[in-house]
Amino acid sequence: MRLKPPHPGNLVALAIVALVAGGFTALATVDGGKPALLSIGPYLARILAFSVIQAGLSTVLSLTLGIALALALARRRFPGRELVLAALSTTMVIPTVVAVFAVLAIYGRSGWLADALGLMGWSTGFNIFGYPGILIAHVFLNAPFVARITLDALHLVPAEHWRLAMVLGFTPGQIFRHLDWPVLRAEIPGVASLVFLMCFKSFAIVLALGGGPSRATLEVAIYEALKIDLDFGRAAWLALIQLVICLLLTGLLNWAFVRPPGTHTIRSLVRRPDARNPRLKAMDAAVLFIGALFILPLALSVLGGSQHILAVMDADLLQAFATSLAIAAIAGTLACLLALALGTAARRQRFALRSPRLAALYDFLPSTLLAVPPFALTAGLFLLVRRMADPATAGLILLPLINGLAALPFAYRYITPRLMVAEERYGRLAASLGVTGTAKLRIMDWPVLKRPMGAGFALAMALSFGDFGIIALFGGPELRTLPYLLYERLGSYRLDEAAAVGLFIVLIAFLLAHISSRLSHAGD
Amino acid sequence: MLVIENCRLTWPDFTADYSLAVEPGSLCAVIGPSGGGKTTLLHMIAGFEHPQSGKLSLNGRDLLPLEPAERPVAIVFQDHNLFPHLNAAENIALGLHPSLRLSSAERASVSEALSAVGLEGFDRRKPGEMSGGQRQRVALARALVSGRPLILLDEPFSSLDPDLRRSMVQLVDELRRKRPVTILMTIHTPEDVAGLADRMAFVANGRVQASGTPSEILHGSLAKKIAASLPES
Repeated sequence: MRLKPPHPGNLVALAIVALVAGGFTALATVDGGKPALLSIGPYLARILAFSVIQAGLSTVLSLTLGIALALALARRRFPGRELVLAALSTTMVIPTVVAVFAVLAIYGRSGWLADALGLMGWSTGFNIFGYPGILIAHVFLNAPFVARITLDALHLVPAEHWRLAMVLGFTPGQIFRHLDWPVLRAEIPGVASLVFLMCFKSFAIVLALGGGPSRATLEVAIYEALKIDLDFGRAAWLALIQLVICLLLTGLLNWAFVRPPGTHTIRSLVRRPDARNPRLKAMDAAVLFIGALFILPLALSVLGGSQHILAVMDADLLQAFATSLAIAAIAGTLACLLALALGTAARRQRFALRSPRLAALYDFLPSTLLAVPPFALTAGLFLLVRRMADPATAGLILLPLINGLAALPFAYRYITPRLMVAEERYGRLAASLGVTGTAKLRIMDWPVLKRPMGAGFALAMALSFGDFGIIALFGGPELRTLPYLLYERLGSYRLDEAAAVGLFIVLIAFLLAHISSRLSHAGD
Repeated sequence: MLVIENCRLTWPDFTADYSLAVEPGSLCAVIGPSGGGKTTLLHMIAGFEHPQSGKLSLNGRDLLPLEPAERPVAIVFQDHNLFPHLNAAENIALGLHPSLRLSSAERASVSEALSAVGLEGFDRRKPGEMSGGQRQRVALARALVSGRPLILLDEPFSSLDPDLRRSMVQLVDELRRKRPVTILMTIHTPEDVAGLADRMAFVANGRVQASGTPSEILHGSLAKKIAASLPES
């Protein structure tokens, strides 16, 4: 009897689990040392408290501004609204290190605000480092994201409900109670846990704006343990604790982030009846003004880099650009191939083997990667390969691998639903014709997959291109990406050059995100 | 009497021009091909669409200057009639007071409306706990309890199976015989209402192409006219 070769998706799933387990084991057992949890107790408690408080405050502030903006944008039509919506959609790919630059450029000691007040003879006396800087950067990145997601959800209210509200004569308060609030109530737990997770894991922002070792998230503490103190045992404990907390949050996210199917067909024809209420008009104008006042200067500070872009066009920048592009391209390819392998395995379980529970396991695997601390995983894998490669070479191998794994959940979300649709439509036909394996992939899947694959690839590239995480461990004169170059410029207070590099990163990340968005919506 | 006189609505790719008269207390079925303008006619009467010209009145009262909430009109859609977070009684109560603050007499009329549509004991059920037919009954009860003299039914039973659809049409007919309401109902299956409707209007290409008794429209002198007005495809 001949044994069937294992499905590539099973091999990929096993490889991912082995990589994560191997990395953590290597980290925990290095030099035979056993980490002592009790010895780091007070330190751990302080870091946990800081991580939770800053993430909690960031979440509350991001949700408050984001939801207020979403409601105002849902009620209002104005010239440039489409542009605002497009800008909100792209905040997901704004590199965190660019947000750091923007906060320093506006609120820093020699930022725009200090300059403007200085001209009037005033001094701010305001220290951006610590909670203020971290919260501003987190809200700058997350409030637009919350606004966009909430606005999309508000648009799912069926047109019939708006017409009923008109016929029944709902007041603005009743509209909020019966139409907006049920949507918000369903949306808030998922969005809040996602924002909390991102802020809890925050690295570049806390590292640059924390203002000292007393203000560190678990992610920053892991980085410090690895890079500065070389205390691998402590890093392993911190990573394990972060993994458990983030897995719980990811589980909550998966449970909470289920959106009911909505009606898109005629929504655009229905004008919200509360749009004419003068009090709401004034309130929305105030919210949009505050949102613009907060977000626009930060965005403009990056655009200000255009004046200096020629000045930074040197060999360092071109080399960093080429490195970033190569790493992003490999990470994007890896993310898509892994997603395709896992997606086809999930499809096989769901349709051919009729085992939806096992299929759900394949679905769950990519999202659990969101919970894995990248520094701990990278350090563990580095320990495994350090005998074979110097740090720069190891960095070149591990950077695309870790970035590819980090982008896998997003690529998986693009690719797998289309695989399922292809199976539902043509699966039986393919089975009856005996079309299987790569022929099935080429004939049946590829026509429906090529656009979502392109979208997933572009988004994965955009995320990897702007990432300032693992590069902090391996970066140096031998290995430099664009975000690392920006961090170097910030560190040496060359703000004009930092602005130019930041603009360069943002433009490319936005271009990739735009391509991703176009491809994901094409053919809908 | 509902009177529609040359009400004209224009879009870049579609023009509608309606004229129709419906007697008070009657059940008028609006039939016609998909995309012919049946729903637009109902939306215009409800106040969701505004004609550029023409007249629209109910019992002599001009409806055109009125907002949807001010018009003496209730409406039931094909789907999404109920708010999912409210139970059946609350969804019906919205027809009396959107604030949901009801007097004991009003609460009694909500219960009465539920009984009238055959849903006694369903007050606390949420829409997700009811079948499609039950949900449409609740929507119908809300239209009845509002006490508005004109009820518009926009293909309310299209998603139901044929037997249930016929029994719902029967229910509508029974209800309107007990109350002084005029009903205008768009429907895809004219045979379901043939024996019950007082009038039938055939709408295609944005116009009321013909109106008359069901037998005139379906089998009589107007049948040929209707066939001629249908698109050749």
